[in-house]
Amino acid sequence: MTSKPAGPPDGGWGWVVAAAAFAVNGLSYGLLRSLGLALPDLAEHFDRSTQDTAWVSALALAVQQAASPVGSALSTRWGARPVVMVGGVLTSLGFVFSAFARSLLHLYLGLGVLAGSGWALVFAPALGTLSRYFSRRRVLAVGLALTGNGASSLLLAPTLQLLLDTFGWRGALLVLGAITLHLAPCGALLRPLVLPGDPPAPPRGPLAALGLGLFARRAFSVFALGTALVGGGYFVPYVHLAPHALDQGLGGYGAALVVAVAAVGDAGARLISGWLADQGWVPLSRLLLVFGALTGLGVLAVGLAPLAGSQEGCRGALLAAAGAYGLSAGSYAPLVFGVLPGLVGVGGVVQATGLVMMLMSLGGLLGPPLSGFLRDETGDFTASFLACGSFILSGSFIYMGLPGALPSCPPASPSPQATPPPERGELLPVLPVALLSSSGGPPSTLDTTC
Amino acid sequence: MRAPSGLLGPRGLLPLALLCLLAAARGSLADGQPTVSPLTSVPIEEERITKYSNLSLESHNIPPTVSPLTSVPIEEERITKYSNLSLESHNIPPTVSPLTSVPIEEERITKYSNLSLESHNIPPTASPLTSLPIRREMMTKYSNLSLESHNISLTEHSNVPVEKNITLERPSNIELTCQITISRGVNSVNVTWKKGDELLENYLTNATGCILYAQYMFTIINSKQMGSYSCFFGGEKEQRGTFNFKVPEIHGKNKPLITYVGDSTVLMCKCQHCSPLHWTWYHSNGSVQVPIDVQMSEKYAINRTNANETRLKIMQLTEDNQGSYWCHAVFQLGESEERVQLVVLSYLVPLKPFLGIVVEVAILVAVILLCETYTQKKKKHIDDGKEFEQVEQLKSDDTNGVENNAPRHRKNESVSH
Repeated sequence: MTSKPAGPPDGGWGWVVAAAAFAVNGLSYGLLRSLGLALPDLAEHFDRSTQDTAWVSALALAVQQAASPVGSALSTRWGARPVVMVGGVLTSLGFVFSAFARSLLHLYLGLGVLAGSGWALVFAPALGTLSRYFSRRRVLAVGLALTGNGASSLLLAPTLQLLLDTFGWRGALLVLGAITLHLAPCGALLRPLVLPGDPPAPPRGPLAALGLGLFARRAFSVFALGTALVGGGYFVPYVHLAPHALDQGLGGYGAALVVAVAAVGDAGARLISGWLADQGWVPLSRLLLVFGALTGLGVLAVGLAPLAGSQEGCRGALLAAAGAYGLSAGSYAPLVFGVLPGLVGVGGVVQATGLVMMLMSLGGLLGPPLSGFLRDETGDFTASFLACGSFILSGSFIYMGLPGALPSCPPASPSPQATPPPERGELLPVLPVALLSSSGGPPSTLDTTC
Repeated sequence: MRAPSGLLGPRGLLPLALLCLLAAARGSLADGQPTVSPLTSVPIEEERITKYSNLSLESHNIPPTVSPLTSVPIEEERITKYSNLSLESHNIPPTVSPLTSVPIEEERITKYSNLSLESHNIPPTASPLTSLPIRREMMTKYSNLSLESHNISLTEHSNVPVEKNITLERPSNIELTCQITISRGVNSVNVTWKKGDELLENYLTNATGCILYAQYMFTIINSKQMGSYSCFFGGEKEQRGTFNFKVPEIHGKNKPLITYVGDSTVLMCKCQHCSPLHWTWYHSNGSVQVPIDVQMSEKYAINRTNANETRLKIMQLTEDNQGSYWCHAVFQLGESEERVQLVVLSYLVPLKPFLGIVVEVAILVAVILLCETYTQKKKKHIDDGKEFEQVEQLKSDDTNGVENNAPRHRKNESVSH
């Protein structure tokens, strides 16, 4: 019995997939963030500087993001489920291998390359599959999945500390290898879904699978450029917010409070923005622009907080700025993934997710070292935060080129009620037929350029 | 001779009188014999000869003649010679007037480096019935030692004794000053200095306005002189200030170091701003500390990159190597130690939770996949059943005629999804 595939279920098994994506996010990004706890022990054991051991996390993050397109390419060819399960096993092997490391090089290879590649295979397919399971509540579901990051930091950080105190770093890495193996059951939960708009046959050849053809679309290219610029500044507060607070004389607990305010704001905002975006009151690309700009302003505020003057005033200003940054950055995150189906259609979401991760990784590689360099040159973080804020603002400025971002033209349909979020590439401009057949993407149906 | 700067007006006549005495005394600096007067209960004279390296040093004390009714030692004389200098210090013993209760004079001549400096104190004769301490002048300097000055301020009616901790690593000259603000009756306050329980002598007191200063100067050369020095101010309520002298503390790692069999590890001890003469390491598996012999085996290596830290590297760890390791820092003025704990585990220890979790994950995956195939089979079975029904319905509809086309379409649509 062949049935015409229906639209995204928007519920049902979709919530299970959301939970699986939540766990995937927690076991990849959340674990990577908490890994910093083990770095001092590693530095002490191998008698290397903090900077050398910091490369372990940086390398893992870089490999994870840069190799994301490979993960999405493999999952378009074979489906998300086997790819994520293999990725989970690969990550686990990376941790087990690094538990027996005899030198820092083994750690770079085990944690950085192996585990990073495993993570690259899990994140984009999981999030892409989630986007396919929802339409009306897509951004909320994505926001929910992205909170896994913060929740896992809360849970994994004390657990990791306990493991380090009980088993030392070797035993801790070994047990972490077993914990990351939970990515495999998460992958098992990603049931394949057949949707209208999927390409009829799997793409031929690795390059087509990577989805590089997506760049041919103007909307996606604009989005890609803007996101790459935003990526340059987006990750810096993750790394440098605490040292900035310490530099301003806040003390250990004061700095921890600033980071906590940003983290809580971030997690809460992801859910709220997801819900808000799904209501459809404002086009997603406009929300992306607004929250991107607000994030940039938040980062600028964090950098300028020391100008508040007195110690008390500075502390209050820094807390407020951190809260503003957290709220806006959290609102921005699910929108990045939520807007993709509108740009490339549901069929290309998985590939687009991988490409977006790779672009953000470029920024993630450049941003923190630039920020650190500026801090070393000028003596405090004000210049670095100003630079990052300007990166984010320029990226948001580029988002103005996205269709639907600027409210300059009257709506195409005179209907006053909220329109469902675009999912078949309605935001795409009309493309010549030849270009369509070469890229192999889904056909566009509407023209919204004005 | 230079007149000392502290010579006050009314006593200006004394220098002339005592100058003659001085000239006479200069000629003969032989050892004097102590004469102990009755009614004294404390030792009254000392003599010290200290020799440094290749220098000769002579120190002479002319013992005081103690007047009756005094209860404290009243004078000493020290002559100290340092390095290649000759240093002469003369004390003209005071003639102590009766009814004084405080020491009243000393004189010292100190010479420094390649300068000759003579300093003479012509001590005043204390007037009777004065209870004000009379200022003395003291100059003792070791040319190659530094001077450390420490102050404590006390208030008259506080309940809390004030303490100051001082970290000392090299022999130094020390100058301790206690000051107390007295509302009234500065004269009635009795000043004493003690080291531990032992009474000290040779301190200075001074009063300006409502503040009373007590000063004690001495030299710390070895560990016996370290400890607690206290100044006491008598009065309605005794106030005390304490200076605690300690060698620098060293810091290791607070948490135990966890390693595995076959690893090599580095144990480190360091101190903030100190440079000990040398470091030693001990290993204790219980209560006895066994020194670690570095030359003995290739297992241990001691690395000393900076003066203020030491690293013990242990290769090829075995479970015997676990326990407490002690690092000792030896200073000229004492020793300081710290403990570092080492735990050596075998790989089987974390393997158990690892295997447990892997088994749990395998079970989870199996359950998820089985559930899915089960529900799919069930759905397929239901679908098959519905399809069978559908086929049956079609067959029956066919026999019924064409007018049943519409319901058939509707049924088909409801089945497909």
